[in-house]
Formats: sequence, C-alpha cells, structure tokens
Amino acid sequence: MADHRRYFDEIELGEEYESPGRTVTEADIVMFAGLSGDYNVLHTDAEFMKSTVFGERIAHGLLCLAIQSGLFTRATAPYAMLGSGGLRWKFKAPVKIGDTIRLRAKVVDKKDLDKPDRGLVTLDRTILNQRDEIVQQGQTDLIVQKRP
Amino acid sequence: MTSATYFEDVVVDQLKTTPAITVTAAHVEMYQGLTREMAAPGDVPDVLPLCMAIGLGWRIKDPPMAVQAFIALDWKIVRELRVGDTMHTSSRIISKRPMRDAGLIIDERTILDQHGEVVQQGRFTFLVAKRQKEASA
Repeated sequence: MADHRRYFDEIELGEEYESPGRTVTEADIVMFAGLSGDYNVLHTDAEFMKSTVFGERIAHGLLCLAIQSGLFTRATAPYAMLGSGGLRWKFKAPVKIGDTIRLRAKVVDKKDLDKPDRGLVTLDRTILNQRDEIVQQGQTDLIVQKRP
Repeated sequence: MTSATYFEDVVVDQLKTTPAITVTAAHVEMYQGLTREMAAPGDVPDVLPLCMAIGLGWRIKDPPMAVQAFIALDWKIVRELRVGDTMHTSSRIISKRPMRDAGLIIDERTILDQHGEVVQQGRFTFLVAKRQKEASA
C-alpha cells in the first residue's frame, strides 16, 4: 500500500488547514461522561444548569479538545506521527449541544530533536463554532518522523 | 444541595492520589468512535489518558470541587501508555487566586502507570465557585 503520510521534511512552516465541521450532540456528551468518568453537573445535570449563566449543559472542554484531534486527521493528509510532545491550551467559550465546531490549524515551528530520525512540529490550533467565535485555542507539539 | 469543595476550602500543597483504572481496548474503541482519531492496535491515543485523568480526579473521596469552568491546560506527554496498562493520577493544588465570586486554582497533575513511571504531566487551571453567603440573621 502506498504511504501517504507526510514526513517532517515535507511539512512547511506556515501551512494552514481547515477541517470540516462537526456538530456536538447530547450523545457525544453522554458518551464522553461515561468514557472519562467526568460526570460534573456542568455536563450532566440539565435542571441544575438552567440556574447557571450557561442556561443548559455544556460539552466537556476535553471532549472538544479530543474532537479537534480527530478533526485534524480530516483536515490534512496524515503526518508520519511518532508521538506527541505536549500542548498549551485555553478554553475560551462554552460549546453547547447542537453547536458545530471546526478546527483551523497552522504550522508555526519546526525543530530537530536529539534523535536524528525525528523532529518536532508545533501547530497553532483554533476551534471555532458556527458563529465563527473562538471556543478553544492553543498550541500542540507533534513528534514527526523524518524521511527514512 | 450537594456538598462541594468551594474556593475557600481548597487546600494548597496537599498531595492527593486517585484510584487506578486499566486502559482497555474498549476504552480506545469508544474514544475512536467519538473522535475519529486513529491508533494502531495496542496504542492509546495521547488525549485519552488525559480525559480519564479528569474522571479519576472525581473519585477522590472529598466533596467535589465546585468547578465553574476549565480555563487552561499546559500538558506534557512523557511516555506512551499501551492498552492493558493501569494508570492512576496524583494531584496537588499549587496556587489559588481569589476573584469576585469565584477564584482561580492551578492543579498540578501527574498520570502514572502501574510501575510508578510518569506518563503525562501538567497543570490545569480551573475557575472554582466561592461559597454562597448564607442569609443568616
């Protein structure tokens, strides 16, 4: 099978990607609560949330972070990933049931690593909702294989 | 009203350790169904242990912290976790800063595997509610 993965050498500084949209549903939140074990009232108690500034249940911040990680794979050809280095992230606005989010990403840094077969690619990432409001924003560091 | 740990009650510098959970292929499959993130057989996507770390935090036997919002995350992936590994977390509040009706706390959290090796580590910033003033005589 042909290898369509993109190596460190092929990824250019300044490349930008935009993913398709994805509507965040009640089912997503319920599944994520079960998977993560995070049953905080913010995400699970519709009645309590009526009395808060949000007015309704909101999606887990990490659910949207996880969804954007999947959206990244739909935004560009896959990188030759060896792992991830870390992330610096801000949760700026709530995502409510029925909101549609998408990812905008840009390559902002490339660095060699100690091991000669790999490099670190840093991406600025922004999650936008259907009103083009920024809901989450940050940077992720990906460890990407160099062309063998 | 359920009891909760409000901003005033948050103790700085106290180390807390959660119960452990084994990361199974079922967790990875559910996570992939939810996010469409890819993983080779046996691999655990990096964000999954982070998500499970939050759930483990709620299993500490203190009243749950009155979190109003998750503000920020600064996170390092130290090593890979594999399907079948058993993770737990330790946490320590390293700072608290009062605001008007709530306060910001920084929670330093570490995910460890069954050998006690650090897997992931970083800081969560949460907005935590202050206790409502009782309408007392």
